[in-house]
Amino acid sequence: MIATEILSAVIDFAPPLVLAALGGVLSEKAGVINLGLEGMMRFGAFFAAAGAIWTGNAWLGLGCGLLAGAIAGAAHAYASLRWRADQVVSGVALNLVALGLVTFLLEALFGSSATMPSAAPSLPHWAGHTPIAFVSLVIPFVLHWFLTATVTGLRVRAIGEHPRAAATAGISVLRLRALCVIVAGALAGLGGSALSLSILDRFENRMPAGAGFMALAAMVFGKWTPLGAFAAALFFAFADALQRQLSLATHANDLHLAGFFLALPYVLTLLLLGGFVGRATPPAANGVPYEEA
Amino acid sequence: MTSASTLRARLFAPRWQPLLIPLTAVSTALVAGFLAMWLFGKDAPQGFALMAEHALGSANAVGESSIKAAVLTLCGLSVTVAFTAGLFNIGAEGQFTVGAITAAWLGAALDLPAPLELLVVTGAAMTAGAAWALIAAWLKVRRGVHEVISTIMLNWIALHLVQDWLVVGPLAAPSSNAQISLAGTVPVHASAQLPRLIAGSRLDFGIVYAAIAVIFCWLLLSRTVAGFEIRLVGAAPGVAEASGLPNARRTYQAMALAGALAALGGLLLVLGTEHRYPGTFRTGYGFDGIAVALVGGASPLGTALAGIFFGLLRAGAKGLQLVGIQPSFAELLQGVSVWLVSAPLLFAALFRKLRGARAT
Repeated sequence: MIATEILSAVIDFAPPLVLAALGGVLSEKAGVINLGLEGMMRFGAFFAAAGAIWTGNAWLGLGCGLLAGAIAGAAHAYASLRWRADQVVSGVALNLVALGLVTFLLEALFGSSATMPSAAPSLPHWAGHTPIAFVSLVIPFVLHWFLTATVTGLRVRAIGEHPRAAATAGISVLRLRALCVIVAGALAGLGGSALSLSILDRFENRMPAGAGFMALAAMVFGKWTPLGAFAAALFFAFADALQRQLSLATHANDLHLAGFFLALPYVLTLLLLGGFVGRATPPAANGVPYEEA
Repeated sequence: MTSASTLRARLFAPRWQPLLIPLTAVSTALVAGFLAMWLFGKDAPQGFALMAEHALGSANAVGESSIKAAVLTLCGLSVTVAFTAGLFNIGAEGQFTVGAITAAWLGAALDLPAPLELLVVTGAAMTAGAAWALIAAWLKVRRGVHEVISTIMLNWIALHLVQDWLVVGPLAAPSSNAQISLAGTVPVHASAQLPRLIAGSRLDFGIVYAAIAVIFCWLLLSRTVAGFEIRLVGAAPGVAEASGLPNARRTYQAMALAGALAALGGLLLVLGTEHRYPGTFRTGYGFDGIAVALVGGASPLGTALAGIFFGLLRAGAKGLQLVGIQPSFAELLQGVSVWLVSAPLLFAALFRKLRGARAT
């Protein structure tokens, strides 16, 4: 009984992490560090809910969230590729812009600094879960296939490992990198949409509450591979669901012990990263700006 | 640019240069903010005048600005010191929280004579913050865990343990109220509070702490052998290793100092303004520290300037409500200026264009 509840919770809560972590994998496989996932998710979550309210259609809202993430990705690509900005700094700046801009828009357009009204239309539920949940169970395998079995996927990996060699072989490094970062943004935006359209039915100003950073951790944990990141994201969602169940079962709230359970997934992650995973190797040219010869 | 000249440039940058880009970015962001206000049909000149008044217009305003500036500067310094050693400390938020709760706990639990109490509590809070940061340093040096990931995890662990256990459990103020979580911890003794400096203003001794920290970091990083070694470990770990520098020890030292500085920021809010760890306390000052350090060009003096600027902006933004603009506008400008700082080449191109325009 508890097992099925936990499984159901994992399917519901994993999509934001899975999608954003895959965005991170794609971006960094192509050699662009992406610390802006948190900001991209925030834009996605906000515009998905706002789009659903404005258009009266949850699917169009989903499209808005995806597009907003892609535009945020394009901003990161523009700064770090066109202007060779420090990619770490650009990503952090994107998070800060998202924090300020979304709060500003929430106050200006919806008159609240805490939450948006519930989006009237909601996504359909298939077998108790929204389509995003099922999509995020499939995309990791698609991305794995793309990176390992297609020519474009090979090129993506090449520009992340040795861009100069890839350029010599006739690949347009900067264009392909930009494309990867934009698609990464779209994935993170979709992950953000899952927060405001699937897990909850509205946008809350604290979103994504660190999910973007957890996605980064999942990416590293999964050693920069789509399936590894997928497994890591599922593990985080599982630890979170387990924590909720344990907390409920032991009445932790009444004993003021909820903090221990809330901290548990992060402690587990640190122990696993420090104890078992060992040193993970990022793509060789990750974060190195590329100058066209 | 060859790697040798990059290293040289990083270690011996001309003193004015680190300030040029941040100043340009900040003023560009201000101009953009002014234009945005104007485009939204708000009274932009009036808005900026109100901002200035709320930031500097009275003793009270100066007090509010300096409190914010001091905390932002300390969190910024934390990120700056770690940056110098080549570490990206996203964990200032967690170290800040650990410092704040230690100050709140000992400030209430200890009852020592006036100057001693404050000194002991300060020392303990900084030690706690340093210890929290050292976990990430140890994981980095010994287990190869990237500090960005470990400090993020440590942030959440600190936040949950402090706010969902200590503040509502063992350290909670006794209260008959069912809403115990809103009460926060037991108030600290008067001897642990930071003395106020001016009547009619909340300006307190914290500003002196921040000033000492800035001077200490500046002296350490630019005037001592240990500071030079920290810079070398950050700029070229391979060179440092080959020169026989104790890389690991410098990493531990830089991270411990970073943790102590962020913890001091948390202490300032608890002992200066709140006088307890409040029940609802989600400041984000630790994350703002990243912005402050980046705009400050990761130098102690630049960080102090950026901290003062953002402190003024935060305090001043309250005035914007009078022309119908939300205070979150300050955070928006902060984000935009960091984004502009991230792309110095954008400015280089702009400067070239301006110079070209002047030449013709």
